[in-house]
Formats: sequence, C-alpha cells, structure tokens
Amino acid sequence: MVPLSYYLVLSGILFACGVLGFLIKRNIITIFMSIELMLNGVNLSFVAFAAQWHALSGQVFVFFVMVVAAAESAVGLAIIIAVYRTRQTLNVDQINLLKL
Amino acid sequence: MRSPASTMSYLELLKLALPEVIVVISALVVLAIGLTGRQRTAVAGVSSAKPPTKAAGTAAAATDWCSLAAALGVGIAIAAVLMLPRNASLFSGMLVITPLTSLFKIICLVLAFFTVCLARSEKSLRHPGEYLTIILLATVGLMLLVGSEELLMIFIGLELLGLSLYVMAAFDKTDVRSAEAGLKYFLFGSTSSAFTLFGISLIYGMSGSTGLAAISEKLVAAPAQPLLATGIIMTLIGFAFKIAAAPFHLWAPDAYQGAPIPSAAFIASGSKVASFVVLGKIVLVGFGPVHGSSAWHAMAAGWSPILAALAALSILIGNLVALAQTNVRRLLAYSAVAHAGYTLLGLVAGGRDGFSATLFYATVYAITLVGAFGVVAVVRSETGGDDVKNFSGLAARAPLLAGCMAIFMFSLAGIPPLAGFFGKFYLFSAALRAGGDHGLLWLVGLALFGSFVSLYYYLIVLKAIFVDQPSASAPPRDHVSSDLLQRRAVAALAGIVLLLGIMPDILAARILAAMS
Amino acid sequence: MQPVATTFFFYFLSAVTVISGIAVITRRNPVHSALALIVALLGQAGLYLMLYAPFVAGVQIILYAGGIMVLFLFVIMLVNIERAQKEEQFNKQWIVGIVAALALGVLFVLVYMKGKGLFPQTVAQLPEGENTQGIAMLLYRDYMFAFEIASLLLLVAIIGAVVMAKKRI
Repeated sequence: MVPLSYYLVLSGILFACGVLGFLIKRNIITIFMSIELMLNGVNLSFVAFAAQWHALSGQVFVFFVMVVAAAESAVGLAIIIAVYRTRQTLNVDQINLLKL
Repeated sequence: MRSPASTMSYLELLKLALPEVIVVISALVVLAIGLTGRQRTAVAGVSSAKPPTKAAGTAAAATDWCSLAAALGVGIAIAAVLMLPRNASLFSGMLVITPLTSLFKIICLVLAFFTVCLARSEKSLRHPGEYLTIILLATVGLMLLVGSEELLMIFIGLELLGLSLYVMAAFDKTDVRSAEAGLKYFLFGSTSSAFTLFGISLIYGMSGSTGLAAISEKLVAAPAQPLLATGIIMTLIGFAFKIAAAPFHLWAPDAYQGAPIPSAAFIASGSKVASFVVLGKIVLVGFGPVHGSSAWHAMAAGWSPILAALAALSILIGNLVALAQTNVRRLLAYSAVAHAGYTLLGLVAGGRDGFSATLFYATVYAITLVGAFGVVAVVRSETGGDDVKNFSGLAARAPLLAGCMAIFMFSLAGIPPLAGFFGKFYLFSAALRAGGDHGLLWLVGLALFGSFVSLYYYLIVLKAIFVDQPSASAPPRDHVSSDLLQRRAVAALAGIVLLLGIMPDILAARILAAMS
Repeated sequence: MQPVATTFFFYFLSAVTVISGIAVITRRNPVHSALALIVALLGQAGLYLMLYAPFVAGVQIILYAGGIMVLFLFVIMLVNIERAQKEEQFNKQWIVGIVAALALGVLFVLVYMKGKGLFPQTVAQLPEGENTQGIAMLLYRDYMFAFEIASLLLLVAIIGAVVMAKKRI
C-alpha cells in the first residue's frame, strides 16, 4: 500500500507546477490553465486528507471547489474574450496599458 | 446518521438569513427591471418614427428604476438585520449571528448603498440592471463573509465576492483599461484564492475540521508542525492579496485606476472591510493558540510576526510609491496599500482592543474612500480624466466638492478633528499596549513615519484643488453637470467622516460592546 | 473489494499526472496544453478512485474534463492561436519563476516528509457503497446553506459571462 503522504507530495508537486506556469508563461489562456492545475493540487490534498480522517467532508469541499472552478473559468474566459476583442493579443506582456 | 441538531427546517434558515434573502430578491428584481427597460429601448430605437431622445429617456428611466429598487432592497435588508435575534448559530458555524456580525452587516449594506448611488450617476455603464445586480450579489458575499465562522462558507463567500468584483472591474467595455484591470484583478485574485484554498486544505488535514472553533481546539493540543505553519502562511498569503498588503498588492493600482469608479470604490471599501473582519476572525479565533509574538525583544514563531512583516512592508512600499504618482486613483491605490498596513497593526496587537481598533479603522477608511471616489467620479465626468492636474481649480468650480475632498484627504492623512485621526490613535495605542514593554514600538514608529510621508502626497492633491489655476482646457462653468444625487452622497459621506471624528465613540463603543 | 497492485497504479497515475502537468506549461500550442491538462485530470480521477472517492472521481471526469476543458478549447478556437504560437513563450523573469516554484515544491516535499509520522501508513478504507449516499447526506443537510449559496455563485457567473462575452457593447 502507498502511504498517504505520497499523495500529499504529489499534490504539492502539482500545485508547484501551477505556480511555475503562472509565473513564467506569457499566454493568458495557459496561465489560466496553470491556475486550474493549482486547484487540482488542492483537490487531491483534500481527498487525501478526507481519507485520512475517515470523513466525507473533505470530499464535499472538493465538490464545492469544482463548482467554484467552473464559475471562475466561465467568467475568466469571458473576460479573456473581452480583452482579446479590444487588443487582439493574448500576451500578458503586451497588455501593459496599466503599468505595474 | 448525523447529529439530529443539524437537521432543521428551511423556515428557520429563511428567518435567520432574511437580510441575505432580501438582497438576493432585490437583485433579481433589479435584473428583471433592467431587462424590460432594455427591451423597451430596443423597440423604441428600432422604430425610427420615435425620436432617439425618447429612447435615451426610457433608458435613463430604467436606470432610475433599477437604482431605486436596489437602494430599496438594501434599505429593507438593513431593517431586517436590525430585527435579527441577538445570538444564533446555524450549521455548525456557517451562519453565525452575534451583535458584531449584525453591526458589520449593516456597515456593508451602507457601503453598498453609497456604491449604488455612485453607480446611478455613472453614465458610461451600458447595462445598469446587470451592474446593480452584481453589486447586490457581491453585497451578499460580504454579508456571508462577515457572518460565518466556517472555512468552507468563508471560501464560498470570498469567491462570490471575488467573481462579482472581477466582473464589476471589467464591466466598462468601451474602455480598454477596464477590461485589462478586470483581467489583472482576475488572474491575481484567482491565484490568491488557490493559495488560500491550499492553506485551508492543510489546516483541514491537521485538524479534521473546517469550523474555526474546532480548529482552535485542535491547535491547542497539537504541537507546532511544519505542515500547520505552511497552511497558516498560505492562508495568510491569500488574504494579503485580498486586502492588498505588500508585496501582494500588484493588482491594486490597476484595478483602482482602470475599473469603473463605482467598482473601484466597492473594491476599496466593502471588500476590504469584510476581508478584515474575516481575517481577524480567522487569526484570532481559529489560529488563536499559535499567536506567536512580534515584539522586537521577544520574537516568537506564529502568525503575528508574519502579519507584522506584511504591515511593515505595506506601510513602506505604499507610502513611498504613492509619492511618485500623478494619477489620483493610482495614488489612492498605493495609499490603500499603506492603510492596509496600518490596519494590520491592530491584528498584530491582537486581543479585543486590537481587533476593535482594526475594525474601526477599516470602517472609517472604507467610508472615506467611497467619498473620495465619488469626488473623483464628478471630476472625471467633468474634465474627462482623473490625473492630479484635472483637479486644479476644483475649489472655484465646485466649492462643496472641494471641501468634501479636503475632509477625506485630511482624514486619510490622520489630521486631528477627523475620523482617520481617531482610527490611527486607537490602532497605535492598542499596538503600544500589546506585546509587553512596548515591544511593538518599532512597528508603531514605522507607521508614524509613514503617516508623515503620506501627508505630503495628500497635500499635493489639495494644492491642485485649492491653489492651482484651472488649465485652459477646463470646461466653462455652465458645462458642469450637476448630478445632485452624487453630490449629496459625497456630502453625506463627508458628514459621516466629520461626525465620527468629533464623536468617535458612536462607532467605537458600539464595536467594543458588540465584541463582549 | 481488495485493491489490485495499488503501488504500481499509484506510480503509474502520478507519473501520468505530473508529466502531463509539466506538458501543460511547456507546450507552445495552447490546444496541446489543454489536451495535456485533460490527461492530467483523468490521471487524477484515477487517483481519486484509489482514495475511495468514486463520486469525486466521476464529477472530476464529467465536470472538469468534460465541461470546463471543453469551455477552454472553445475559447482557444475563438482566438487567434497562430499568433500566440509565434510569440515568445516565457516572460523575462522566467529564472525567478523557476526558482520560486522549485523552492515551493521542495518546501512541500520536505514538509510532508517531516510530517510523515502524522499519517497512517495505509490508506483508510471506506466501503464504497456508501460514498455517494454519504456525500448527498452532507450536501443536502449539513452543507445545505453552502449549497444554496453556490447557486448564487453560478448566477453571478452566468450574468458576468454573458455581459463580458457579448459582442455588441
């Protein structure tokens, strides 16, 4: 059998992958996919902890995270389309009307 | 299967969640009015027999009806909050009613009311029905955040608020900057909620529960764990994004400058107050046992040194970068970063004193900022911009607004007879008393230094208003659109700031009493 | 039910998930990234099954891989990806990004390795017949209020998506 902490390490690696993508990519849609990757790392850790505590509440939490992810991607992709219509680019470095 | 206490009737839930239900219903009503209004304008626009001014008139009427319905809904919700029982708790902490939550629900509703007033005068918004609906749904998010002591519910409230604010920030599709502000706010916001969520999952893993009280019980027993520390840090990082504390403030200047003005005002006010209430509850109730210490002579691991570091960085970065700004909205954004730092002082100090000082300051700050954005909205609609130079000669054009702006700026700077002064006074004295032997003196000193620096950039804005001559391109006096409602709202907010400065006890004593 | 070759499947599924996760952020073409993300999601659904969470695994495939990723692919098709492919893939601060993400990853691994003693060596075994039923009980009873609020979240998403994506201003 695989110890539970292995699942948690995996979830940490997935989350770190997402952070990496968020930090280094230029294409907005890929950045957005990195955020989904982060959320998936979170979900895995919730399910693993739910198994550890013999409780289903962690799995219900995952369910809500998925609802939020669905709502977030609908809104986010709509905003991306709105930005694309005005600027014709998806490169974050070129979306710099408002400087940092 | 579960405890029988968890089974309960919908009717009781409806009774205790009545304010939220009322706001949701009024949101749906506003949406319906907006839709019918638009259909009528579309018909009027298509049949060219009618003059186009008629169509514009119907659209304006629809806007008025929407705003009226929204304001009415908010008003009834305030009344409903007043009729709630003193103490109640549902679903193991998902919906908690105490005097404190009721007070802050009212404050959130009042802020929403003034935002609706600002939105009514904003001409550039094409879909007023949808916009007001989203403001109201965001307000529901604020109320849920304030009234919950359970991490799942807090997460959903945060997301409801966050999603509404992303849409509000990007709402003005005629302005390129609005969409980009929305995008930046969205990317940073959803990343921050992923961080919060990861922190919550670790805390759930350590404690097996998502209720704040249960977590606190588990933390007393559990020794200091690296896993737990990671969870707490991740949760705090997520909240630092929400309150725009440095170094997680990168979204704030863009969102404040690019978003439509009512959205910016709501992001700066309501979202901040509710975030501070929740952050305070999480660190003081949930993480209470791992407080740590940030006194300079007795640093101890815990969440308080983390918050102290965030506060120090925010005060430094916010104030120093604000010095270089030429746009008033960006200036307000960087000053917001600095103010987030001051407000965190109370949480670092901890205890009832510190928390109440934080809440008082956050409320005063929110009221002041909504007013300041109201003035910016008027200036923007008159001169077409919101740089400091657009404000020149405002005193001659509109003495009332200029006076209000002076009150807001002096309150932000912390000049004595105004509310901001007492807010800072409470915060600093709470911080000095806490941490034993003036341990937090370093932080208070930094905050005082920051306040002095901030006086400079607030005075630059006031100099433009009162001393500088209006530029040649300024509109002639008769061109000034006199939107009565907007001016009245701004004047009312200035009045509140002045009143809270003269008699700070009406709010401060109430917050303290609500906490005991 | 006795699980079969758990160790092998764990390493297999986690390899699939991590490799496609890395592919998501390294591929040049956004369509490839999206497909890699779908593979990662499917691998993760397998891991959920191993953790005795069949309901979550099902929702993961239906909602995440089936719903959200289709939305992503739609949007990628709507925008001009040829141009995006020709552009530089990574931004200027990629070294900083890699260092920060690596530090975060190493931190997680260390923290979990240190906290190993906290967790039992074997995965808890819940009888899978009750899983969906138990979740329904929680969802419609203990978490009923949160469930209702989730509907408001979806309302905001509907309104927001329609207003944002509408062509006519």
